[in-house]
Amino acid sequence: MPIPNLEKPIIKGLIQKDKVIVDGVELDGTWNAFMIERTQTGYDQSVWDEIANTIEGATISLCWQCGTCTSGCTMREYDPNYSPRRFIDLARKGDKQALIELQDSLWRCVSCQKCTHRCPKGVLVEEVVHSIHNYLLKHGLVKRDPGTIFDELFLETVMKNGGRISELLLGGASAKAGFVTMSLRDLITMMGPLMKSGLIKDLMKPNRVKNWDRIKPVLEEAMKEEVVPE
Amino acid sequence: MTQTINPYGKVALYPGCALDGLGKAYDVTLQLVTRDLGLEYEKIDDYNCCGALEVKNVNTMAGLLLPARNLSLARQMGANAVMSACPGCHYSLSRTQYFMTRYPKLREKVNVYLEKMGEKQYDMQLLMIHAVEFIYNTVGPEGVKARVKRPLAGLKVAPYYGCLYTRPKAYTLTGYMKLKDDPERPVFMDELLTALGAEVVPFEAKTICCGGPHVYSDLPTSLHLEARILKEAKRNGAELLITDCPLGHVAIETNMNKIAEKYGKDLRMPLVYFTQLLAFAFGHSPEEALLTANLSDPMSVLKRYL
Repeated sequence: MPIPNLEKPIIKGLIQKDKVIVDGVELDGTWNAFMIERTQTGYDQSVWDEIANTIEGATISLCWQCGTCTSGCTMREYDPNYSPRRFIDLARKGDKQALIELQDSLWRCVSCQKCTHRCPKGVLVEEVVHSIHNYLLKHGLVKRDPGTIFDELFLETVMKNGGRISELLLGGASAKAGFVTMSLRDLITMMGPLMKSGLIKDLMKPNRVKNWDRIKPVLEEAMKEEVVPE
Repeated sequence: MTQTINPYGKVALYPGCALDGLGKAYDVTLQLVTRDLGLEYEKIDDYNCCGALEVKNVNTMAGLLLPARNLSLARQMGANAVMSACPGCHYSLSRTQYFMTRYPKLREKVNVYLEKMGEKQYDMQLLMIHAVEFIYNTVGPEGVKARVKRPLAGLKVAPYYGCLYTRPKAYTLTGYMKLKDDPERPVFMDELLTALGAEVVPFEAKTICCGGPHVYSDLPTSLHLEARILKEAKRNGAELLITDCPLGHVAIETNMNKIAEKYGKDLRMPLVYFTQLLAFAFGHSPEEALLTANLSDPMSVLKRYL
């Protein structure tokens, strides 16, 4: 019996010949149809290893792909491509290409922690997703996204301003980096109550850690250290 | 006078940058309210930024060392528990405790760096708590009720806890002990507000995300999430959104104009820190409770109780 036409498009890479003879026996009907080999190759097994060797990514190996993380995910509602379960699956297979194609979604985690909280296997999903994203960034496979730019800006502001941060400092720095932060109207709404209540004085006052000059170089030294899960 | 039970021992407050910034009203009223209730805590004066949800994504070690230094400072003060008013700080400190417990070699490394900074090694002996838990587990709703001078009868409020007050349980330990709130449907703040005489409306957006970490880098998503919180509160008839998270509070307040423009003017709603409402109900003036400092003008609703 030949393969029904309806089913042909489902089976990809089908080879069918009019006449096939194997060991002197002529094959006909379904027996002369072959599927070409579909084993996917070229995956990079080292992706899983490298991610599992970070403290954030160590729990990637516990995942059993149930999808609890993804079904409750905040971001999924706004971005149908956002799927922590799939990111973990692709990273474990080592399918870098598929991950690169998802780069406009990967960075958008808002760290609401529902996934980590609900995972029945104890995967720290939020940390693992950031670890996967960091892997791609580290190897220069994806472009720098707004989230990463902001995160770096945040750390830079902390280091520059004596170990603390304020909304004014951060707002100023992000405006400089090109994130649209506030309209004139927002600024006016904001300044009114701050002036009236006298809080503005507290906000303007410099606020630094006392011996920051001693702490900062230690932090900079520590940041060069490779951290492994042990 | 109700008797105060303190299950925490000596409590240190980690103020975090938010409480010294736009969240000043939260800081001032927390002090006011705890003094009224006879609760004591000591502030960590020379604290540094906890790294929030940003630093950990850039550098693993910095994401652990920044909070670890604060924990070490708290232990040097002889504290048994660290209270954060900001759930973001609560999360960061708890996260560091988690990783330092889980990986002993990492703990040693962190401690070596702490000593280089001139601090003591951190001995892992702290319990991380949030301001809501602190008030709830010490004086409790009864203690709060006994102190009310200005009952807020008929005031409809929606308590917004934010993501990180309960989540994730691995770090914050919610659901693991009686001192911690329910992880999916927290009630501690609800009960404190009910004790003020206010009516807590059904509110299913208690712990949904406000998009805080991406409020600058992914504004449309943040606006959408914030609008959802306000919609849910409005739909259930709330007049005030009560917050315990300076991140969410500031994000929603500063984005209010944009939300109103995009999702409808009727979503405008005043926001109040829960300690501000407590202070107001305890008889403090709006100026003392710094209700005048809120960008969203809560006095438009609260003036009927003056």
